[in-house]
Amino acid sequence: MKKIAVLVEHRQGEIREITFEMLGKAHQLAGSDDEVQALFLGDTSQKELVAKVSPHAHTTLAVYDAALKDFEPLRYGSALEAVLSNADCDLLLMGQTAFGMDLAPALAAKMTMPFTSDVVDIEILDGGVKATRQMYSGKVSAAVSLKEAPKRLLTVRAGAFPAEDVPEVSGEVREIAWSVDGDFAVRKFLSYIEAAVGDVDITQADVLVSVGRGIKDADNIPVAQELADALGGVVSCSRPVADKKWLPKERQVGTSGKTVKPRVYIALGISGAFQHQAGMKGAATIIAVNKDPKAPIFSIAHFGIVDDLFKVLPALTEKVRELKG
Amino acid sequence: MEEEQQQPLAERLDLFSCIQCGKCTGGCPVSIKSPLNIRRVVRESSVRDELSGFMSRIELWDCTTCSTCAIRCPRGLRPVDVVIGLREMMIEEGRIDKTIIDALDGAYKYGNPWGRAKNKRAEWAQDLDIPNALEMDPGQVLYFVCCAASYDPRVQEIARSLVKVLRAAAVPFGILGNKETCCGSEIRRMGEAGLFEMLMEENMKNFSKVDPRVIVTTSPHCMNALKNEYEGLTTDVLHYSQFVWELLSAEKLDLKTPVPMKVTYHDPCFLGKQNGVFDEPRWIIGKIPGIEFTEFGRCRENSLCCEGGGGRMWTEGTGAGERLSEVRVKDAVDMGAEAIITACPFCLLTLEDAVKTTGNEEKIRIIDLMELLAMTLEGDAETGDVS
Amino acid sequence: MDIIVCIKRVPETAEADIVLDAGKKGIDTDGMVFSINEWDNYAVEAAIQLKEAQGGKITVVSAGPEENNEVLRRALAMGADDAIRLTDPAFEGSDAIAMARILAAAIKDIPHDLILTGVQADDDGFGGTGVALAEMLGLPYAALVTDIQLDGDTLTVHRELEGGLEEVTAVKMPALLTIQTGINEPRYVSIMGIRKVAKKEIAEKSAGDLSLSGDDIGVKGSLSQIEGLFFPPVGEGAEIIEGTMDEKAETLVKILKERGGIA
Ligand SMILES: Cc1cc2nc3c(=O)[nH]c(=O)nc-3n(C[C@H](O)[C@H](O)[C@H](O)COP(=O)(O)OP(=O)(O)OC[C@H]3O[C@@H](n4cnc5c(N)ncnc54)[C@H](O)[C@@H]3O)c2cc1C
Ligand SMILES: Cc1cc2nc3c(=O)[nH]c(=O)nc-3n(C[C@H](O)[C@H](O)[C@H](O)COP(=O)(O)OP(=O)(O)OC[C@H]3O[C@@H](n4cnc5c(N)ncnc54)[C@H](O)[C@@H]3O)c2cc1C
Repeated sequence: MKKIAVLVEHRQGEIREITFEMLGKAHQLAGSDDEVQALFLGDTSQKELVAKVSPHAHTTLAVYDAALKDFEPLRYGSALEAVLSNADCDLLLMGQTAFGMDLAPALAAKMTMPFTSDVVDIEILDGGVKATRQMYSGKVSAAVSLKEAPKRLLTVRAGAFPAEDVPEVSGEVREIAWSVDGDFAVRKFLSYIEAAVGDVDITQADVLVSVGRGIKDADNIPVAQELADALGGVVSCSRPVADKKWLPKERQVGTSGKTVKPRVYIALGISGAFQHQAGMKGAATIIAVNKDPKAPIFSIAHFGIVDDLFKVLPALTEKVRELKG
Repeated sequence: MEEEQQQPLAERLDLFSCIQCGKCTGGCPVSIKSPLNIRRVVRESSVRDELSGFMSRIELWDCTTCSTCAIRCPRGLRPVDVVIGLREMMIEEGRIDKTIIDALDGAYKYGNPWGRAKNKRAEWAQDLDIPNALEMDPGQVLYFVCCAASYDPRVQEIARSLVKVLRAAAVPFGILGNKETCCGSEIRRMGEAGLFEMLMEENMKNFSKVDPRVIVTTSPHCMNALKNEYEGLTTDVLHYSQFVWELLSAEKLDLKTPVPMKVTYHDPCFLGKQNGVFDEPRWIIGKIPGIEFTEFGRCRENSLCCEGGGGRMWTEGTGAGERLSEVRVKDAVDMGAEAIITACPFCLLTLEDAVKTTGNEEKIRIIDLMELLAMTLEGDAETGDVS
Repeated sequence: MDIIVCIKRVPETAEADIVLDAGKKGIDTDGMVFSINEWDNYAVEAAIQLKEAQGGKITVVSAGPEENNEVLRRALAMGADDAIRLTDPAFEGSDAIAMARILAAAIKDIPHDLILTGVQADDDGFGGTGVALAEMLGLPYAALVTDIQLDGDTLTVHRELEGGLEEVTAVKMPALLTIQTGINEPRYVSIMGIRKVAKKEIAEKSAGDLSLSGDDIGVKGSLSQIEGLFFPPVGEGAEIIEGTMDEKAETLVKILKERGGIA
């Protein structure tokens, strides 16, 4: 019998979607007599959150302590060690998120767990763990195997697995004792700051004309704006464009920007790095314009044009204007 | 080179002999719209001990290095080089605009200031079957394409037209293909002297391997750099307008199809003011059957700069006023010209942009001299193709 | 304030056509352009800005072949004081945790108040070497840092979370931060600047110098292994629209209309 554990990720009173994505995958990997575990670390006041995940795991192991109210990797790491000594899981999954990236590598180093990060697929064969991860901004995939060990660790890319239809099983919740022990004052959570509210809210738009580094220069943004205006949409961007301040940070789509779900998302000169994809793959229709036929954006786009965006944009804008009269 | 650097700017450029007559500022095309006052830049650079506060002045990036100031200086000084010298100091401190950094990084890593892949440099010529100059016998014509003509789809049209013209004249020639690298002209003017040298060395290596009779360039900027700034390059360097002038004079080209159009000619600063090539382009235009030529009020030595040089392709500049390229386009429209002919990739791009920003798309177009020539070689079926 | 910055030399692959090497465990980097990992460039700039404000010394460390001297020199020209290159055939095949072990062995003997790494490397994209390194050195840390304020021996940092949210966290020095892009505007490094440091010595350290045994590093010391590389299925979902530009635009407009893309 094998046991697959998922570290529950929560923030500001909500379970993060990645948790269900990992639980779904864990069930898919588990055989009929295998066990899916959810590991929860938090404050007593957050017990109601546990009720949201426990139906989806055979066992939920929970540590409640005021010190665990907000994510702090040193405390979470220590508590997790306590849980893991009770959990006897073979494989632990965490998100490759701001939470997991701040915790998993340290835990792997501390507990000498075979570990790889940011995986998009997992296979368990004869007790061996094989994962697929991407390299070179998604242009190449790597098959990585983890060596034999009592516990192995993977961090999972957000959005790699569906969060829907996670099986319901009769979940049992077990509390694990843990108390603050060690100098945790060296790292202290202070507060959250919400992203600045900008002039337009790209999360509300039905149509997004999104520009990436392929737009080449701030001077070219108006060309995209023209199409957006013609379509009645809004211009958004990838992160390099916001970094260069060609568009305000609030227009950025992706893991460190906004997650958008427009009816139509037009990606112009965006390669489709996963951090970007994560923010827009929920769009009903994705249209990509990129001169590189191998750009990863084409793997998630519904329609594609392999050409110079500076040729496509004016042609398209004109046609739309014609149509609208 | 490094020793030169240590020498104070004022000494190196002999600024103490400046008489502050102000002819430089008087002729400076950007002085009407920018806080940049070139006379004052020269003055302050010679009296200040400490240039660092002064030199980070943002308006120094407004200068297009058109060199009108140097042409007008009665003492033979080169005020434009003071600007470049100050930019060099900014570059050494590293505090420059991101767009400039990107252009320099691109030239360093990929051999072109747009940072486009090296192995795609010759893609424009894929279907043209142009011989690799590195495999030719010595003594031939080397066509130096230029970054803009290699990568910018609009400028590629100049290169394609020139190829047509050379072929019509049965001139054998070759290109360096992906081995060609940026000439460094703009890089040097953005103040990155070290990178200019590096690029020069790389091109020089290839030039000596090819050992051509003449190097023909698309861009006056490349021509100027190769001809006047490449140390030790003894090969003749010609801008295509000069080379084609030779071909036409020798009656190697048969210009048959009339191009009935009223045109004017915009002098590229790096071709005209800086290298005295005023007549050849006009003479070529005059040879085209059916064409009607009219001069700009400001032409030849007094021509207005398009603001595309000196790194301005990569930085906006502070001047809030009308772009000079817009002034130029409006003037041409007022003259009733249907096209501005020019002979430089940057002029082509800035003027064409100005046609759009001034909303004159219906009235006027910008045509490169080689495109014009290709039209008359071809017949009018293809003339619509060019705009 | 003594700062150590870990920097990696990576191939630029955004515009490149990637070809796998013969063993299919790496890529053929022939003819590729290499540069400092983008995140590490921001980390070096962050270190220089701290040094400019506080004084101190910056040491840059890179593990890799002789070519890595390029990125180390660039960092020296940018404003770092010392450079160390870690190199040994025994390092080959190290995974990220083993790489962190190598870095830790070198760093533990260099005085430091602060260690900076990038959030992730552009090529392998593991995104965890810094955090593993912090654990090995027993230092408090914070990952994905987008802002640093210094107050005595405490760093108040912003961490970039998902959805445009940021976390404000205090970290007591000595500490390690992994730096996110956009935290600052890295300065330009001129060719002349690089030439000026061309003769500056770059210290080299081997596995032996670092007292690392073969069991800790390389394939043997790595608990994960790359079995093989392959190209992900590309273009699978996307229906590619062909034709002249006019036809392409025409087709697109039709799709936009059908899919509610024209308001
Ligand atoms: C923790 C973390 C969070 C991140 N968060 C985000 C995020 O929220 N959002 C985000 O976007 N990124 C994010 N990134 C960065 C991400 O990894 C990529 O670097 C980024 O998305 C790339 O942006 P891009 O596609 O615009 O640029 P590139 O990858 O450079 O792609 C440019 C594309 O344009 C194409 N192109 C160029 N010229 C033309 C032309 N003329 N016509 C047509 N196509 C052209 C090229 O072929 C290329 O595919 C994050 C990274 C990390 C580590
Ligand atoms: C299973 C596996 C097997 C591997 N096998 C090999 C192999 O056989 N040969 C090989 O050459 N590589 C190999 N690698 C890649 C190599 O181990 C990576 O450099 C290492 O995993 C670090 O990951 P990363 O570069 O993605 O760093 P990330 O964790 O993404 O990088 C974060 C930061 O760590 C620092 N950093 C990372 N690498 C270095 C470095 N070399 N020097 C200084 N600082 C650094 C930088 O500050 C960087 O910004 C392998 C990787 C894996 C996962």
